[in-house]
Amino acid sequence: MNRSSKSGQYGIFFAFALICLVLALSTPKFFTISNLLIIGNQVSINALLAFGVTFVIITGGIDLSLGSMVAVTGVAAATFAHPDTYPLVVPLLVGLGAGSAMGAFNGLVITKSKVPPFIVTLGTMTIGRGLALILSKGRPVSNLSDSFNFIGGGNIAGIPFPIIILFVAFAVCSILLNKTILGRYMYAVGGNEPAARASGIRVSRVKMWVYTICGLLSALGGILLTSRITTGQPNAGAGFELDAIAAAIIGGTSTSGGTGTMTGTLIGALLIGVISNSLDLLNVTSYYQQVVMGVIIIGAVVLDGVGKKD
Amino acid sequence: MKRNAIFSAFIAMAFFTGCNQSSNKESGSDAGDKLVIGATMLSMQNEFIVNVSDAMEAKAKDMGVELITVDAERSALKQVEQVESFIGQGVDAIIMNPCEVEASSPAIKLAMDAKIPIINVNSETSAKPTAFVGSDDTESARIAMKYIAEKLGGKGNVLMMHGFMGQAAQIRRDNGAKEILKANPGLKLLAEQTGEWDRAKGMSLTENWIQSYGDKINAIFAQNDEMGMGAVKALEAAGLKGKVLVVSVDAIPDALQAVKKGTLDATVFQNAKEQGGKAIETAVKAAKKEAFEKEVLIPFQLVDKGNVEKFLK
Repeated sequence: MNRSSKSGQYGIFFAFALICLVLALSTPKFFTISNLLIIGNQVSINALLAFGVTFVIITGGIDLSLGSMVAVTGVAAATFAHPDTYPLVVPLLVGLGAGSAMGAFNGLVITKSKVPPFIVTLGTMTIGRGLALILSKGRPVSNLSDSFNFIGGGNIAGIPFPIIILFVAFAVCSILLNKTILGRYMYAVGGNEPAARASGIRVSRVKMWVYTICGLLSALGGILLTSRITTGQPNAGAGFELDAIAAAIIGGTSTSGGTGTMTGTLIGALLIGVISNSLDLLNVTSYYQQVVMGVIIIGAVVLDGVGKKD
Repeated sequence: MKRNAIFSAFIAMAFFTGCNQSSNKESGSDAGDKLVIGATMLSMQNEFIVNVSDAMEAKAKDMGVELITVDAERSALKQVEQVESFIGQGVDAIIMNPCEVEASSPAIKLAMDAKIPIINVNSETSAKPTAFVGSDDTESARIAMKYIAEKLGGKGNVLMMHGFMGQAAQIRRDNGAKEILKANPGLKLLAEQTGEWDRAKGMSLTENWIQSYGDKINAIFAQNDEMGMGAVKALEAAGLKGKVLVVSVDAIPDALQAVKKGTLDATVFQNAKEQGGKAIETAVKAAKKEAFEKEVLIPFQLVDKGNVEKFLK
């Protein structure tokens, strides 16, 4: 039942290693501990969103509202994170609660209405952006407490806290996908929905779960972003959904559902982060950056395809 | 059946907006002696534009004129349509905060043809409006870069963070900064890159720059405060803030707080209140056919620790 393709994973890992090698040879600043920590830090938000959307894509769905959920949850959390107002758990619960609720809303509409997820989440993407603007009255929410700002800006024993969150989330998501019944059901639903239904899997319930989890992870990303830039910004996160979906797909998750791994998605996110970091290190002009980024993404997936054929 | 439902929703929408417009028209003529000004703003998601709009609202109230404000949501097409509907409603004057230099220009011609005065606020169009109220973006970058040149004694390594490439503000701020760099051969532009006006992007970019150039960086010029604040965060995390000068443009509340704390060295104040107020004044004068200035330039002001109190409210 578990159709995660191991060979595909190796292909993308090979592509990633190759690109890192080339970068390490072209600039001595790339392969230093401080730079690697910076990449980890910069990658963390996109990786969290990508984990969430990987679940969704495995079940054959899509979620375009990630970026808007980042904005809503960030603004919502920031509203309760001013110094000397509420204890730290309040903004965290508000943010995570808002994200889960929005995710659950996506799931509910998708399972009840049978409208394609692309359309539903396109709608919630706009709704979310509007909500973020309404909540914040169009202005950034700043002046946040030090404890809140630690989440995205602090470090423990020299390791930036976002990297710790990233690895914990990675471990939890991997276990959820590989070691639980819900994870198996996700692959089953994405691989062949009628068959899954016939074999007694409650498809709607599985879908509710994946969209809710996706919302929760987006909220974690939103809180991380807000804390990192120490402001809740209503226009933050625009376009994040594309980077997250790209990371999942580069990592071998098939848009037709049923296939994908968390390790692949993590490598996909790292690949995007490494490229954008090194293009800055190499001082490639911004116009060319976008072209290079696109070429490398396509190249990586092509390489992945070659790996799969072997 | 689903298609039918969507179709009828469209019909209902068209009907609704149609009604809405006609009722607006009535209220326009009903107002009689009260002047009506229509304003279309670039984007109400932008803090600075919201401030300009608030100032216009306050001034309109003061002067006893009716102001209808609509949001063009960064779409020039939408903006042109909004101006068309203002003309249809028979407003006395139009204020436009243009989305784009070229694509918003047709709106000017439409208003001119309808003999309704149209005033551009904050940014320009290639077509010449009745009057322009705003500030010269080139000047803001000149002021910022001059401050850097002065503080570094005309010698040092500078990094520049651009806004969205190709936007009018980015191009002007680039020109202004480069002008001053040229005049100060001792200043070296180590690297320049876009941070897309965004705080998180500005922060990541600065982190990457620190990896590349480290101790060599003497100053960073960010084309807006959001990116400047991101640069400050990254420098602080790397323990370099004391050594690197950071200057940005806009004087948003966050940046003013940072200047007060001493983390951001300076910002350049663009006067949203004056821009909005003068736009309404000019529109009223033009509508009443009184004499008015064709170009009202609101000067920028440098804000550093010495005078920041004046700008904090």
